[in-house]
Amino acid sequence: MKFNLPIFDIKNLTFIVKGQRILSNISLEIFRSEYIAIIGPNGGGKTTLIRMLLGLEKPTTGEVKIYGKKLSNFKEWHKIGYVPQRASHVDSSFPATVLDIVKMGRTSQRGFFSSFSETDKKLVYDAMAKMDILDLKDKMIGTLSGGQRQRAMIARALASKPEILILDEPNTGVDAASQKNFYALLRKLNKEDKITIVFITHDIGVIADDIARLFTINEKAIICNNPKQLLSCQEMSELYGIDAHLLHNHKHEH
Amino acid sequence: MLEMFEYDFMQRAFVAGIIIAVLASVSGTFVVLKRYSMISETLAHSALVGVAVGLVGGFNPLWMAVLFAIISAWLIEYLRSAFSLYSDAVLAILLSGSLAAAVIIVSIGGAFNNSLFSYLFGSILSVSSEDVVTIAIFGTLSLGALLFFSKELYFIAYDEEVAQTSGIKVNFLNFLLVSVVAVIIALSIRVVGSLLIGALMIIPSVSALQFRVGFLKTVIISLIFGLFSVVSGMTLSFYFSLPSGATIVLCVLVIFIISLIINRK
Repeated sequence: MKFNLPIFDIKNLTFIVKGQRILSNISLEIFRSEYIAIIGPNGGGKTTLIRMLLGLEKPTTGEVKIYGKKLSNFKEWHKIGYVPQRASHVDSSFPATVLDIVKMGRTSQRGFFSSFSETDKKLVYDAMAKMDILDLKDKMIGTLSGGQRQRAMIARALASKPEILILDEPNTGVDAASQKNFYALLRKLNKEDKITIVFITHDIGVIADDIARLFTINEKAIICNNPKQLLSCQEMSELYGIDAHLLHNHKHEH
Repeated sequence: MLEMFEYDFMQRAFVAGIIIAVLASVSGTFVVLKRYSMISETLAHSALVGVAVGLVGGFNPLWMAVLFAIISAWLIEYLRSAFSLYSDAVLAILLSGSLAAAVIIVSIGGAFNNSLFSYLFGSILSVSSEDVVTIAIFGTLSLGALLFFSKELYFIAYDEEVAQTSGIKVNFLNFLLVSVVAVIIALSIRVVGSLLIGALMIIPSVSALQFRVGFLKTVIISLIFGLFSVVSGMTLSFYFSLPSGATIVLCVLVIFIISLIINRK
């Protein structure tokens, strides 16, 4: 899996804000078609790391490269689909149907003086079909359940035909049944569509069988190439405040 | 009913008013969705500084209003992005500061109170042919910019960060939106007045949002409400000798109340 060039190449990344060190000297690589899970305690810097990958925050020192290019030179943002933490929380009065939301995924790729093309339309409908929300397309986004909204947000990300999908705890506020379907979908996107997945989660036990590698972030990074082994790693519990035994049990409960 | 159109000033006021209704309701939808409603009040007061400078310095007040509103809009965006300041605090500071500056400038210049009064509350009698041409030209350019980037602005209003990560030039478009809103507000103060234009920009959109329909339908409903308010407000203003801006705002307020009642949960 690692014989190609990394999609993300992060070197010596440090982020200090108002004197507080959030990330320290983080170096890691993410390769094509990998399924990466990121775990760590709240406030440990997981979301900050993701925001740096996306260019939403600038590192104090260090460098992020995407497809071998510096962030400032990277233009092909449509290759990256992003589903933020608050995906299932929306303003209930925002005037948007599910179709309006998914079409946003094509907005950055329309040319000047051109509207949505037949190709755009096909990709939007394909994304909705993949997320099984075609029958909801004319529903207002504010009237949907948390799980349905989550699927709409992922459909929006898929409409841009991404090569990488970055998800920041998108399960917040989503019921257990929808979460199970969601994990199955991520597995399918990774295995069948070869989409690289970078996923911040607390439910590591549930997806341990699916992921290729696990990044544990708590200011510093520990990279684990064998996630199943990590689940029983006492050292991880002690260093990062994550109860590995609980995670292990959690997996068997599902 | 058509008697009022026998007067040239009413013809000019209606043309200007209809253009302003279209501009205010379309731009107002984006402003409301971005939770930026107070910007219209702040920019209207900044435009007033331009009017004061124009009156005192002998320049065209409308052009000066456009210039000062744009400068204020850029300053707001700069302060918002460069410093850790709350958006509403920035708007409140500039609103008060602009009003103070306008009053001082007029006070120093002296004898412009009547002229300034018409810019504060709007006066259909004062709309000149030159004003109509200026409103038509700048209005067309502003509306064109809004429509051209409407999909991007809609995405930004929904989720600014995801829009940015998809490759949309969020900073540029935020500056563009506040600039266009600044121009529209400055153009509108002749008819509606700087103290009342905020209402014409915000209330039709908020009323339309009560119907909970998709984006395009929301804009169309907002447009219909804006046009209806301006036409009915100006007509009532003519026949009952009422101030135009205040009458227009009361009409749009009635629409808002009806929208709330109709769409009550």
